[in-house]
Amino acid sequence: MTLLAVRQVGKFFGGVRALSDVSFDVATGEIVGIMGANGAGKTTLFSLIAGHERASAGEIVFDGRNLRGLRPYEICRLGIARTFQIVRPFGGLSVEDNVATAALFGASPAASRGAALRRAREILALVGLADRAEDLAETLTLSGQKRLELARAVATGGRLLLLDEVMAGLTPTEVVALLEVVRRLHAEHRLTILIIEHVMRALMQLAGRIIVLHHGELIAAGTPAEIAADPRVHECYFGGAAA
Amino acid sequence: MDAILSGQLLAAALVTGALYALTALGLNLVYGTMRLLNVAHGDLVMIGAYVAFWAFSFAALSPLLSLIGAGALAALLGAALYYGLFQRMFDGSRAAQRLEANSLLLFFGVSVILQNVAALQFSGTPRGFQYLSDVYRLGNVALTGNRIAAFAVAIVLCFGILAFLRFHVVGLAIKALIQRRDAAAVVGVDIERVQLLTICVGFATAAIAGSLVSMTEQISPFMGFPFTIAAFVVIILGGLGNITGGIAAGFLLGALETYGVAVTSSAYRSILIYGIFVLILLVRPQGLLGGRRIVR
Amino acid sequence: MSMRATAVGLLALGIATAALPLMAGDYFVGVALWLLMYVALTQSWTVLSGMTGYVSLGHVVFYGLGGYVAALAWGALPLIAIVPLAGLAAFLLAVLIGLPVLRVRGPYFVILTFGVAELVKHVVVAIEGWLGKFSRVLFGAPDMITLFYIMLALAAAATALTASVRASRFGHGLLAIRENEEAAETVGVPSVRFKLLAFGLSALVPGMVGSVMVLRSTYFEPQQLFDPVISFTIVTMAVVGGSDDVKGPLLGAAGFVLLSELLWANAPQVYMILLGLLLIVFVLFMPEGLSGKLFPPRRRGAA
Repeated sequence: MTLLAVRQVGKFFGGVRALSDVSFDVATGEIVGIMGANGAGKTTLFSLIAGHERASAGEIVFDGRNLRGLRPYEICRLGIARTFQIVRPFGGLSVEDNVATAALFGASPAASRGAALRRAREILALVGLADRAEDLAETLTLSGQKRLELARAVATGGRLLLLDEVMAGLTPTEVVALLEVVRRLHAEHRLTILIIEHVMRALMQLAGRIIVLHHGELIAAGTPAEIAADPRVHECYFGGAAA
Repeated sequence: MDAILSGQLLAAALVTGALYALTALGLNLVYGTMRLLNVAHGDLVMIGAYVAFWAFSFAALSPLLSLIGAGALAALLGAALYYGLFQRMFDGSRAAQRLEANSLLLFFGVSVILQNVAALQFSGTPRGFQYLSDVYRLGNVALTGNRIAAFAVAIVLCFGILAFLRFHVVGLAIKALIQRRDAAAVVGVDIERVQLLTICVGFATAAIAGSLVSMTEQISPFMGFPFTIAAFVVIILGGLGNITGGIAAGFLLGALETYGVAVTSSAYRSILIYGIFVLILLVRPQGLLGGRRIVR
Repeated sequence: MSMRATAVGLLALGIATAALPLMAGDYFVGVALWLLMYVALTQSWTVLSGMTGYVSLGHVVFYGLGGYVAALAWGALPLIAIVPLAGLAAFLLAVLIGLPVLRVRGPYFVILTFGVAELVKHVVVAIEGWLGKFSRVLFGAPDMITLFYIMLALAAAATALTASVRASRFGHGLLAIRENEEAAETVGVPSVRFKLLAFGLSALVPGMVGSVMVLRSTYFEPQQLFDPVISFTIVTMAVVGGSDDVKGPLLGAAGFVLLSELLWANAPQVYMILLGLLLIVFVLFMPEGLSGKLFPPRRRGAA
């Protein structure tokens, strides 16, 4: 069943065409990967879905509901959660308060502060931050902050998770660990995930389907194997015939 | 209507404009290079005014000469503040980040201190003095000598600084710093030194403006506020960090004020200035530092 | 310090203060009035500026408006109507200007609030000028003891308001806005609505305080009532006392009233210079304020 439908979406910033005629569907429970060179429009796409920007053209429909004109917090309440490419923790709050805030205000808000903290601790345990719960968020390492970002997004109770380059800046070991975390979250919270990644290995392993953006256009869509073999992808992404 | 189009008003607008341009110039330089909003800026004008007053009253020294002293004093103050307060801000630590957000409060504290030190020293009674107050006529425009002199000095300084920025190596460094801080460092600009120079020049020009203003305005410890506000209006109108724009905007504000007051009355001068100030801040686009980034 | 200990302490303080007029003379009651005024003002201020990070340097505008309303309504309405009316007027002003004003961020917001306060001041001066009045004298104003108890109630109300906001979901949202507004929206915090509400709530008590003080002085003059020094004092008290819990404004207000008692009569400028110096010192070296230093949080919740 289609959870998210992106239909002929376009976005202009002044004269710059960031996205043009992008269409794809995401079914419930899927993990769909998005790849493309820098500037291809990936983060812009997320901004449109999450409501930080307004689409210049096209429609975005989530669970049957058109998202046009909704503010980010309303979209969060509907069930879409996102992480940011450059992490944005609530630095002066504790790690668990970061997550508890999301639990209090998100798509399925906790009934009380106590309930929110309980949910927060569960999720923190899942992402491996349980022992840092009472520390200030700004004291975490990058890897920790990425996990916090993830935990916070999940704590909103949203069904669709937008992951924006969560693996960026992590060591290969940390990537493997985070991959496992994402898989676990996907299973235990029955999430649908849209994931932007440059770390190819992570993308190929996680995603059931991949779409490829190039200069704001969708140039290919298919399973990881299909994408890996697609000549257009090789042309645009790797610049030439497959090695 | 004749009155509006008269040369007299135009002359007045030009003089006021030149002084606003000069006052704002310093603020713009300091903001452009260090992103510091100096709310004590008007108090530097006040200091310059008092230096001129004191020099004239006790040593019969012309403000056109004592402005050098005023400038020097303000530059010294700038250096002291830089080393004492603001240098910490640029070491990149977390404490430094918090400081940047609070720099406004710091300047506010400085402002209060300056005002009250002046009040302690000179009492709150407004002062004034007569200098070059003979009237000169050019066609049907009548201007006192002090206004002409103020205008001349202000113009020379403004364009002098513009020329410096354009033609001198250090001026280029300042512009580079305003444009892209990190890039400037990478290409070898000595950020520390340039910042120090900028804050000294910025403070000095404000004090010099004060000395010029002292010839025609009443001097009091709390005269600084309106100048601070006016300076902010000017630099926002002209584009933060845009020195040339700031000078043009200074004249624009001078015109707005002169003609605005002529059309209404001098009682509305404050409403006009603060009204423009509020309006500008409300209307200008979000996240002023270049686009949609949030200024927090 | 636990919440219960704080509550008990505040209650004890409140009772002691309430007994003051029975034990001390007019002069001390007057000083206590000032203290309570600043407690009320600073606590209210922290609901906005401490919690959302939108630092208001123009809070005197709400105080002044409340005072103006009281000056206009005195004689026509009874005291019991005037005080809430003043608060309501201030609340409405906040909500009215809040939408455009709160879209401005960071230091620009700070100087904007200052500009708005000055603008309103000059507008009121102009209005009074049109009305042919340059100041107003209020005859038959209530006696100081009555005003004292009203102010005590206001200080208590402001403290209670701040405490309850902090403990609420709303307060949680405000803190998130302070830390990272865009991220807060992403996790479902309705930032515009919350900021506006915080703004309005922070104006409510100051409006009422203004009405009380105008009646205390029995004299209304806009330049005096909309004095930016009041805004500045509030901010300094909050910075020095600490703006992260309800004890902070109490410490700040007490400290400064004490200081002013020692200095104001002979050397008001010295008092102001000290205010400026303390602001600078605390911003640089102790941003968590006295309450943050003396009662450090157990690293739960806000820093």
